[in-house]
Amino acid sequence: MAAGVLFPKPHDQVLLALAGFGAAGILAGSFLNRAPNRLANGVATALWHAPPLEAGAAMAGLAALAALAFHPKDKPRSAMTFGAAMLILWGCLSGAGRLASLFALSDPSAARYSLGAAFWILMATALLALLDAAQRANLGLLARAGLIAALGAGFALTANSGAFADLSLAKEFASHRDIFFIELRRHIVLVASAVFFALAISAPLTALVLRRPSARGLVFSGLGILQTIPSIALFGLLMAPLTALSQQFPLLRAWGINGAGAAPAIIALTLYSLLPLTRGFFTGVSEVAADVKDAAAGMGFSARQTFLLVELPLAWPALVSGLRVVTIQAIGLAAVAALIGAGGLGAFVFQGIGQYALDLVLVGAIPIILQALAASFGFQMLLAARRGS
Amino acid sequence: MIELRGVSKAFGAAPAVVDLSLSIGRGAFFVLIGPSGCGKSTVLRMINAMIACDRGAIELRGEDIRAMDPVRLRRGIGYVIQSVGLFPHWTIEKNIGAVPRLLGWSRETLAARVEEIAALLQIDRELLRRYPHQLSGGQQQRAGVARALAADPDIVLMDEPFAALDPVSRASLQDEMRRLHAETGKTFVFVTHDMDEALRLATHIAVMKDGRLVQTAAPRDLLNRPEDEFVREFFGREAMGLRLLDFVAVRDRMRGRPRAPETIGADASLRDALALMIERRCSRLSVTDGGGGKISEIDIADIIKGQDAT
Ligand SMILES: Nc1ncnc2c1ncn2[C@@H]1O[C@H](COP(=O)(O)OP(=O)(O)OP(=O)(O)O)[C@@H](O)[C@H]1O
Ligand SMILES: [Mg+2]
Repeated sequence: MAAGVLFPKPHDQVLLALAGFGAAGILAGSFLNRAPNRLANGVATALWHAPPLEAGAAMAGLAALAALAFHPKDKPRSAMTFGAAMLILWGCLSGAGRLASLFALSDPSAARYSLGAAFWILMATALLALLDAAQRANLGLLARAGLIAALGAGFALTANSGAFADLSLAKEFASHRDIFFIELRRHIVLVASAVFFALAISAPLTALVLRRPSARGLVFSGLGILQTIPSIALFGLLMAPLTALSQQFPLLRAWGINGAGAAPAIIALTLYSLLPLTRGFFTGVSEVAADVKDAAAGMGFSARQTFLLVELPLAWPALVSGLRVVTIQAIGLAAVAALIGAGGLGAFVFQGIGQYALDLVLVGAIPIILQALAASFGFQMLLAARRGS
Repeated sequence: MIELRGVSKAFGAAPAVVDLSLSIGRGAFFVLIGPSGCGKSTVLRMINAMIACDRGAIELRGEDIRAMDPVRLRRGIGYVIQSVGLFPHWTIEKNIGAVPRLLGWSRETLAARVEEIAALLQIDRELLRRYPHQLSGGQQQRAGVARALAADPDIVLMDEPFAALDPVSRASLQDEMRRLHAETGKTFVFVTHDMDEALRLATHIAVMKDGRLVQTAAPRDLLNRPEDEFVREFFGREAMGLRLLDFVAVRDRMRGRPRAPETIGADASLRDALALMIERRCSRLSVTDGGGGKISEIDIADIIKGQDAT
């Protein structure tokens, strides 16, 4: 009993762990790295050197998380966790931006300020706390979408006001701004076309393996072999035949299909998507209970009606999750496509690696991660919409 | 209505139905009974062309089923599958309306029909909005039967439709079935394991064993003259005599003037009369007519000695 009073039991261990993680991050130092130029190593600056308002907000938010872990009621705890996380997010973003601006007043113009480990750890802490709160509050998907939109809008507004202008990540972004949106669009087009073609091929392939059990072994082992070829090798393998083809047929060249660029990338991404998609579709449809299909046939559903009215709706969750896996995989793999000149966000990543400019790598990597998260969330919405109807 | 002529079906090397011939007349309540695995479900599934027979021919309403479009054929036959198989993504209401919707019924006709059939099978209106997984096993079975009857087919195939019901609701649904059958004149083909159910419902019973037909007869004839040891065994050797009492009314055996204090209705079965005698520890009962007036008497000796005239 006495021990229970002295050491109260936490009601949300996740929050406590997150608070500890964040605190360790702060103590580890390097909130912002200050370097005289793009290539030189920086000097780490800790959070407490940031302007007191922001540094205080971030630390207060972290302390609040730790305290909230002991709050007994889910609902109010979630609401307050949300507030604390926002405090941390704002403190970090604004703190880093203003600290960089302060340094910039006295530093030469070539100086660079890049975000350090403490910054990223605190951001991750805040986002995970938000996720935990959303889950505990049992927030609906629409509410989550609203929350994400509000966060995004808040960030965009702050960014637009120039609060981050002196951070090197923002500088890299600003100096690549025009090409950034072109590459972003390319990336999306690569992924969307690959998923589209994969869908167009997987659907009949699924129908085939469903109808012909004898074809199953061949189809799945064939696709399995494709899956095991490393991505760079596959991109490379496709270059030679496509080059040959485009030299043979001027029409292909006129369409922009040749050994390098988007064509081999889309083909490779499509090939990688075939196995997970076909397998997901196949298990989805074949796992629809036999007695239900039997009842449908026995009552006089035609094969088409059984498929459209019974098998498809019942397999829907499996179909969507197959599509989700494949889309997220393609978003990641498309980054590699930059190596064969297909462009996309991977271009920044490889360019950044080449120039040893970590911030440029981030200009490519962060949107890739965000895209994957967005795709995952979008497919979740799609599933929920279906369930609701 | 339904003719099977020398029908055989084997799955691989194992025969499921062997040289089976059945003639099921219009308006029959035809019960297929037999031990597990004897081929009852297979027979039903051959009738609605879910399984093609290897040999022999099946005629429906005078037409060979091989000449018919299987989808159209099945829409004209109600079918309750053994495992119910309700569509899990549809409400009970939508499940029941499945075949009428395939047939293109109007919305109003369909809604009215769903109400009607739900009432008939004692499915609570509140259940109609639920999904199958929110129903008990027995409620699901009723919904399965309702779905098979919804489009008002003249032939209904039922594969152990009441297997998951408790004895009370089972008996009440059996009564409903019997009433429905008498009122509509539909042809029912009904599979069961349960001989009491068979005897209560059937106009004709076919006993199967190892894919073969052992005997087809009216229930009473089956009890009076079982074809062989298997049928005798199947209908419960000792209980056969008692079961026979079900088929004779008190009215047929009463005689003399009423003197006994205990009474029983003239339309009750001999089995009911015997049960009452045992319960009341008496050997005679006065028989009353519909109005309640005593009209005659029945003695335990009349129940036991009187062999069936047929
Ligand atoms: N699709 C099938 N493939 C292979 N064998 C089958 C198939 N359907 C039925 N059988 C076999 O045919 C025989 C008859 O099966 P059926 O389902 O007709 O029996 P049943 O009389 O309905 O039994 P139960 O009372 O247990 O439902 C069984 O031996 C069964 O194993
Ligand atoms: Mg069966």
